[in-house]
Formats: sequence, structure tokens, C-alpha cells
Amino acid sequence: MMRWVVLAWAAFLAAPLAAQSVRGRLEGRIPSAAIPAVDSLIQFASQEGLPTEPLIQKALEGGAKHATEPRIVAAVQVSLGQLRDARDVLVRAGDQPPVLPAEMTTVAWALRRGLPAPVVERVVAALPRPPRAAAMHAVADLVAHRFDPDSAAGLIIEAVRDGVPRERLLDVSAAVLQQVQRGHTRAEALASVRRELPNLPAPSKPRGNVAGARRPASPAPP
Amino acid sequence: MNVIDPRIHQALDGELASEAVPAELRHTVAQLAAAADLLAALPPGPAASLESRVMAAIRRPAPSPARRVIGWLVTPRAIVLRVRPAWSVAFAAVVAALTLFTAGDEGPELAEHEGIAQFVGRFPEAQSVHAVGTFNDWRPGSIALKDQDHDGVWRATVVLPAGTYEYMFVVDGERWVPDHLAERLVADDFGRENSIVIVRPARR
Repeated sequence: MMRWVVLAWAAFLAAPLAAQSVRGRLEGRIPSAAIPAVDSLIQFASQEGLPTEPLIQKALEGGAKHATEPRIVAAVQVSLGQLRDARDVLVRAGDQPPVLPAEMTTVAWALRRGLPAPVVERVVAALPRPPRAAAMHAVADLVAHRFDPDSAAGLIIEAVRDGVPRERLLDVSAAVLQQVQRGHTRAEALASVRRELPNLPAPSKPRGNVAGARRPASPAPP
Repeated sequence: MNVIDPRIHQALDGELASEAVPAELRHTVAQLAAAADLLAALPPGPAASLESRVMAAIRRPAPSPARRVIGWLVTPRAIVLRVRPAWSVAFAAVVAALTLFTAGDEGPELAEHEGIAQFVGRFPEAQSVHAVGTFNDWRPGSIALKDQDHDGVWRATVVLPAGTYEYMFVVDGERWVPDHLAERLVADDFGRENSIVIVRPARR
């Protein structure tokens, strides 16, 4: 009981500071007339336990792209709706509220990339333990290459069950796409990779090399 | 050179009886005879010793290759290095140049949650290209691509926290262009498409 009281007080005290911080990030970056509307949408998200960073990023993106004030507000509203949908999908699939913000962001990505909600639910249910980002992107990568969403999800779920580490799930989808590039049909490519599970080709070399790499001036968290 | 009287030779060789030796030579003959007796009485040491030492050295087994190497390594040797001062200065300059020019290529040390993202785009007529996205709060300027060999292909390799990012290229400070080489695209809700880059942690 005491813990909840402390948390409630912390949230009560932190909320105005967070609001100030959000306004500080938006000022000078988006039309000033858009700030109150965007700010209130971000407050709604915060009160609902939704991640706010994707909304801030959407507003900053609109400002950088010189979008009009109504368009920026509309885009932030769309993003808020996607996060709500993502939370609902996660709860329906079995995640207990409060849902982790990172998982909501991940599922929102998956829905934006064209995964049907039932397929996302299926992946979430099959992977009850976060993080699920790699699995979602692996399925979305296949769907983006016109694979049937159910078949794509089935392969990735099977890979997880066969013991493929989550950080290598993107290599599963990459292996399937390689088979297609070599002239196999989609069904053949899926079957070929499925037969070899949990074995996978060696992970592809990361794009770029640390030699010569540099850090951007002020990277922001995703 | 003194010539020895032949009668002394004859007396020492026993060809002349000692009584027949003239009195003035008897003392010399006696001394030489005593010296000859003394030499004859010495043991044949030096010759036998040399022979035995040579034979012992021949009979001794040759040391093993390892022992020879160890022996060579532990035996002190004098090394004489003759260096012209001009060459020393040149060598020092080369070492300094190599150190200076290679130090910048090692890149930053990556933390456990960081990875590498490489941005590549072909913009033959461009004067500047920047990668702008959720990794830098959509702020142009922090990630500038470079066309070092002036072939129209612009590149940048950056360290980012592992995660998923949306981005576009900004060409010449005003033209927003998606990365056509990116395999992942998503609608940006402003009438264009953003590219997606997934940065995987470099250390797993």
C-alpha cells in the first residue's frame, strides 16, 4: 500500500516536469500554434500509460518536414491511435496491464508495417516473454516481400520453439529472402529454411565497420 | 752460430770413449749427458694428454638441437649496431606518421547496447546529404554523409543505440528523400515514406 502511495506522489510530482520537458523539446521545432494540441495529446498518452516518445518524434518529424500545423496534430493523433491499438492487441494476446511501453512501440511498428492484428496477437501469444521486436520485424520483413502473414508468423514462431535465439530471428527471415533471390518460390523458401531449423546460415556481416564509424552529435533514444 | 765440437757428438753418441775425450771437453760432455738423462727421465705427459683430450672430444656425443639452441640463446653476444643519424631521424618520422594517421581509424569503442548503422545513397548532383530521423530528433546536421571519391555515392557509418529508427535523407538542406536501398519502408503520415533501419547490438 505504502509503495503505491509513493509511486502516486512521484507521478504527481514528475508529471509537470515531464510536460515542461516535452514543451521544451517542441518549442522552435514545430509551429507554435500546434504545440498546445500536440502537448495535450501527449498528456493523454501519458495518463493512459502509453509511451510518449513516439508522439514527440512524430511531431518533431512534422516540424522538420515543414508540415502544416493541422497536419502535424493529425499525424500525432494517428500515432496515438496506433499505440492504443498496440496496447489492445497486447492485452488481448495475454500481456497483463500495465503493458510495457517498449512492447507497445514494437507492436505499433508491426501494425504500421502492415501486419494484421490477429497475426500480431498470434506472435505475442507464442512469445509470452518480451522483447518481441526481432520476431515482429522478422515477420514484417517477410510480409513486406509478399509472404502470406500466417505462414511468415508460423515460421518465426517455429524458429523460437526450435531454440533460435531471439536476436537471430531477423536472420531467419533473411535466410528465407535469400532463397527467394536464388529463384525458389516462397513456399519452397519457407520449407527449406524450416527444414534446417534451428540451424541458420552465419549471420550476415553488419552493414558498416566500427573502423571509421562515429557517433552523431546528439543521438536520441528510439 | 757456435759450432759444437764433433768429438762431443761422438762422446754423447757413445762412439768415443770418455777417456778419449780431451780434458777441456769433458766438463761440457758431462753437462750435456746429465741434461739428456734429465729429459729422458721426464714422463711423456704433454703428448699423451693432448691425444687423450682430442679423443675425448671426438667420443663425446653431439648436443641435441634444443640444447644447442638454448646454448646459443644463453651465450652472451655482443651486438654492434651502426646507425647513421639521418636514418634514425627518418625512422622516427615514419613511426610518428603511422601513429598519427592510423589512430583515427579505429573508431569508437562500442557499448553492449550499441550497434553500427551505415547510410548509403546515390545523389550525383548533391552538394550535401544528411541522415535525419528518430535517432537525432529529426534534426538535420548531426549525421552528414560524405562522397569522398566524388562518384555520387554518399556514405556515413555511425554508432547508434540498438533499436529501430525511421529516417530520410535530406539532400542540399531542403529535399527529403527516402533511402531507396533500405529494405523497410513505412508511411510517414505526411504523404511520404520513411525508411526503417534496425540497429542490432554489435556485442551479443
